Amino acid sequence: MQIPVVQKVLAANDLLAGEMRAEFEKFGLFVVNIMGSPGAGKTSLIEQTLSRAGDLKIGVVEGDLATSLDAERIARHGAQVVQINTGGACHLDASMVRKALDRIDVTSLDVLIIENVGNLVCPVSFDLGETARVVVCSIPEGDDKVLKYPAIFSSASIVVLNKIDLLPYVPFDLAKFEESIANIGRRLIKVSCNTGDGLDNWMEWLRARQV
Amino acid sequence: MHELGITQNVLSIVLKEATKAGASRVTKVSLKVGEWSTVEPDCLKFYFGILAKGTLAEGAEVAVEQVPVAYACENCGHEYIPLVSAFACPRCSSNKGKLITGRELFVDSIEVENADSGSAKSSGCK
Ligand SMILES: [Zn+2]
Repeated sequence: MQIPVVQKVLAANDLLAGEMRAEFEKFGLFVVNIMGSPGAGKTSLIEQTLSRAGDLKIGVVEGDLATSLDAERIARHGAQVVQINTGGACHLDASMVRKALDRIDVTSLDVLIIENVGNLVCPVSFDLGETARVVVCSIPEGDDKVLKYPAIFSSASIVVLNKIDLLPYVPFDLAKFEESIANIGRRLIKVSCNTGDGLDNWMEWLRARQV
Repeated sequence: MHELGITQNVLSIVLKEATKAGASRVTKVSLKVGEWSTVEPDCLKFYFGILAKGTLAEGAEVAVEQVPVAYACENCGHEYIPLVSAFACPRCSSNKGKLITGRELFVDSIEVENADSGSAKSSGCK
C-alpha cells in the first residue's frame, strides 16, 4: 500500500524561521545572515561594520563550532553579541538562533548580523528568518567559487569580495569573478577589511537596509 | 555534512505516517531531493539504513528522485534550466531569474504493509 506523504524534511526549521521573520518585521529589524568559507573574513567584516556603525544599532549572533574567539573579537567593539556553539555542526539552524535571541534585546537594535558557520554548502538549506543573505569570499580562495558552489551564491542577496588588497600578489582573475557574479544576477561589493577599501559601499548597502 | 540530522527527520516523518496508517512494516520510502538541496542522496541512504534498524522501516528501500534546478525569468516568464556558465535567460538574456525548483527536500510517499488488512480495506486502500 502506498501512502502519499509530501512533507518537507525541514518543515520544523522553516516554520520557526517564518515565525522569527514575522517577529523581526514587526520590530523593523534588518537581519543579515553572513555566510562564507572559513577565513574569508566574515568576522573581520563584522568588526569593520561595528566600527563604522555610527548611530546604527547592531547586534551580532556568532556561530562557531567550539570556540568563542570571534565573539570576543566582536565584544571588544561594545556591541551586543551572543555566541552559539554548534558543537561540530556545519551550519546554524533556526532553533539555534531562536535560543540565542533569549540573550539579546532585539527590540533595541536596527540590524542583527548572524555569522554563520564557515562553509559554502550546508548553510544554504537552513532558513534562519533572515532578511538578507550575504556571501563573503576572498581573493586567496580563487576566482572559481561561483562555478563550484552556485547554490549559495544563488541564494544570496549580495556578494562581498574581501581582501582585494591582495590582488597584486595572488593569481585571481577579477574580471572572470565579476562576470560570474553578474551572470548569476547578484550585486558585488569589493572590499578590503585590511585597508578599509570599499567598506563605504558595504555600509551604504547596510544602512539602506534594502535587499 | 548534515545528512545525519536530516535523515533523522526523514525517519521520524516516515515512522509517524506509517504508525498513523497502522502499518506493520515500511517497504519503501520515496524522497524528492533538489540538486541544490545540499543533501547527498547516497549519504542519506546510508544513514537511513543504520537509523532505521529496529524500527518499522528497517530494510526499507530508499528511492531518491533528484529534482533539477530550474529558473523562471522575471522579465519574460520563460522557464529554463540554467547552465553554471550561463544563468541568464536564454530567451531574453535577463539575469533576473528566480529559482523555482532545485531546493526541494521532502518525503514524497511511503509504501507499507498492513498488519491488519481489515483496516486497510475500511480505509479504501488495497
Ligand atoms: Zn527572459
